Amino acid sequence: MTDDRLLEVRDLEVEFTTRDGVVRALNGVSYGVDAGETLAVLGESGSGKSVTAQAIMGILDMPPGRITGGEILFQGRDLLGLGAEERRKIRGPKMAMIFQDALSSLNPVLSVGFQLGEMFRVHRGASRKEAKERAVELMERVRIPAARQRVNDYPHEFSGGMRQRIMIAMALALEPDLIIADEPTTALDVTVQAQVMDLLADLQREYRMGLILITHDLGVVADTADRIAVMYAGRIVENAPVKELYAAPAHPYTKGLLDSIPRLDQKGGQLYAISGLPPNLLHVPDGCPFHPRCPRARDRCRTDLPPLYAVSERAAGGAADATAEAAEAAAADAAHDDIARVPEVGERSSACHYWKETVDDARRA
Amino acid sequence: MADTTREPILEVRNLVKHFPLTQGIVFRRQVGAVRAVDDISFTLYPGETLGIVGESGCGKSTVAKLLMNLERATSGEVLYKGEDISKLSGRALKAVRRNIQMVFQDPYTSLNPRMTVGDIIGEPFDIHPEAAPKGDKQARVRELLDVVGLNPEYINRYPHQFSGGQRQRIGIARGLALNPEIIICDEPVSALDVSVQAQVINLMEKLQDEFGLSYLFIAHDLSIVRHISDRVGVMYLGKMVEIGSDAAIYDHPTHPYTQALLSAVPLPDPDAREGRERIILTGDVPSPANPPSGCRFRTRCWKAEERCAEEMPLLAVPQRYAGADTAVAHDSACHFAEEKQHVAHA
Ligand SMILES: Nc1ncnc2c1ncn2[C@@H]1O[C@H](COP(=O)(O)OP(=O)(O)OP(=O)(O)O)[C@@H](O)[C@H]1O
Ligand SMILES: Nc1ncnc2c1ncn2[C@@H]1O[C@H](COP(=O)(O)OP(=O)(O)OP(=O)(O)O)[C@@H](O)[C@H]1O
Ligand code: SF4
Ligand code: SF4
Ligand SMILES: [Mg+2]
Ligand SMILES: [Mg+2]
Repeated sequence: MTDDRLLEVRDLEVEFTTRDGVVRALNGVSYGVDAGETLAVLGESGSGKSVTAQAIMGILDMPPGRITGGEILFQGRDLLGLGAEERRKIRGPKMAMIFQDALSSLNPVLSVGFQLGEMFRVHRGASRKEAKERAVELMERVRIPAARQRVNDYPHEFSGGMRQRIMIAMALALEPDLIIADEPTTALDVTVQAQVMDLLADLQREYRMGLILITHDLGVVADTADRIAVMYAGRIVENAPVKELYAAPAHPYTKGLLDSIPRLDQKGGQLYAISGLPPNLLHVPDGCPFHPRCPRARDRCRTDLPPLYAVSERAAGGAADATAEAAEAAAADAAHDDIARVPEVGERSSACHYWKETVDDARRA
Repeated sequence: MADTTREPILEVRNLVKHFPLTQGIVFRRQVGAVRAVDDISFTLYPGETLGIVGESGCGKSTVAKLLMNLERATSGEVLYKGEDISKLSGRALKAVRRNIQMVFQDPYTSLNPRMTVGDIIGEPFDIHPEAAPKGDKQARVRELLDVVGLNPEYINRYPHQFSGGQRQRIGIARGLALNPEIIICDEPVSALDVSVQAQVINLMEKLQDEFGLSYLFIAHDLSIVRHISDRVGVMYLGKMVEIGSDAAIYDHPTHPYTQALLSAVPLPDPDAREGRERIILTGDVPSPANPPSGCRFRTRCWKAEERCAEEMPLLAVPQRYAGADTAVAHDSACHFAEEKQHVAHA
């Protein structure tokens, strides 16, 4: 664990008890974020992106939810060992979340200024007057025009983009070390999205915050992320620095996602589509959960669940700096496929038995 | 590919829709109007896909509803094969409606949860008995399921037993039931997973080739719109601000709003992050109940001058490009329409 490591999620497991049975929403999720870093979490709908975030924030619905395993280390402390009161003290001053739907996460009967000021009253014991003053400052910081005149307005009196900025202001109020943004711009137009993402990036830089950005927009990810974690069926299937992932994905699901972006040269032709359907978490397939949809699947995939393998440059062939020594090491690695090293949290890794072929094919293409 | 030398199948002329804003509970009086669609004209040719893009609230869905006659136009005409259908009612309207069908955005709420898939897809036959298959209705429904790539055995299942992509296919099958010529698609893939979007788009393109359908395709994902459209129209605050071939709009946009829109689309390429020049618009979209005078984009436009507040720009080929033989010569509603160099985009 590096000194800068802000958050580390290790082997997190979450279940939901539902009428139809037990939904295993998270089956061992691991990822990490450093101070000042942006980790993007990509993945299919229902793959567990929001549940992981809720578990980190301590706002998971329990019951029906239950954390059945794992650790959440935040600034070195395991949050899962803390009581409700201690968790509450962390939310706001230490970590905060921005939700997709700003209108429904703001209270409609309280003025925006009151809601912004509440953070200062509850956590900092500010007076009403001080709190309102701070609310105006925050609104100015997220560039709401005429903030002082508008501080007593209600949420519905603001446009969608403004409400999203107010949510950001609220998350930033106490200058937390970690922000989790769950699809912060999905409901916004591209021009407003650009404004909001720009603002978020500026503020993150200013405060050196860690940012977990949950999204399914591959454009936003390419634009803002330092590293990426890709989820599928309650697991991390790939973990990589942004440029490496776009240049050569190490998991067939990631490759499928990147390939299904419409490109100019495909105009008039067919789009690449991942075949089949997203998995049903009540009946996750045996072996690799992606195998019914995977173009690379072999017999082993139907029976053996792939662990996260460390993806190392030297093990993958075709690396630019392949020396004789490296090639030898690669050959040795390839021969010991099954006893591959367990990756560090945050190290480039892939949960595919055939990640080497996947990376190599992508590099060759 | 569309044949633009042929007669248009649909021609929209000066279409207007104002929603009244009222005040008072007992004595309702009109205090203004939301100018959702304000004098819009365009054409759709047989076998063509016309994409419509623009910011939330600019009036895209209202245009769709006006074409479907789900809303009454305040003024203007919608010509279907030369006949104005916007004022039809009763039997005459019903007869036209057969040929214009709609696929909705939200596959989760647009299907009645208490009807089986067979009932949902077969429902148009109950509304239009004259178009129902002579013999076995069930057989036709099975055929439609097969056409959209769903197992015909699923005919007795309910919508909740399907995934989002499958439900969208059910919506498309229903849209195809009456063999329409035009399908209006309002954000047909926006609610779907990236991995499933491509499946539905491929299906729509296949059906278009097979049945010669014309699509009006409304979406906010500019790269999907480019992929599927022959021509693209850009709307802003109830107005069409630019329209042209996909190459004209994406490679040679001349309207500042289109330029800003395209430049704001994040590229799925981390290497492009540093080099690209983005136009970040300031300010918020004004209310359609009280749009700015002159050019409606002027409150956010970096090129705005006095003239823009006084004079409404018309949608036409800009003077400077008149007679040019390239894609840059297309309709753009800006007094200072001009190509901008280096607009990186999707
Ligand atoms: N309160 C709950 N009760 C039962 N199941 C739940 C609950 N919350 C989440 N789940 C299940 O957990 C799984 C993961 O859900 P999650 O919301 O994390 O998905 P996601 O990756 O955020 O998807 P999306 O992209 O659609 O937001 C889903 O199968 C979901 O149905
Ligand atoms: N029935 C109605 N009564 C009053 N105003 C309406 C009505 N329907 C739509 N509007 C208004 O008309 C404008 C255009 O709405 P419309 O739904 O057509 O936008 P849109 O372009 O489809 O937006 P989006 O991308 O968010 O779907 C909006 O300001 C909307 O609030
Ligand atoms: S383990 Fe097998 S099925 Fe899973 S992603 Fe890799 S190749 Fe495909
Ligand atoms: S007419 Fe004026 S305000 Fe409108 S887009 Fe052109 S330059 Fe901008
Ligand atoms: Mg979610
Ligand atoms: Mg709409």
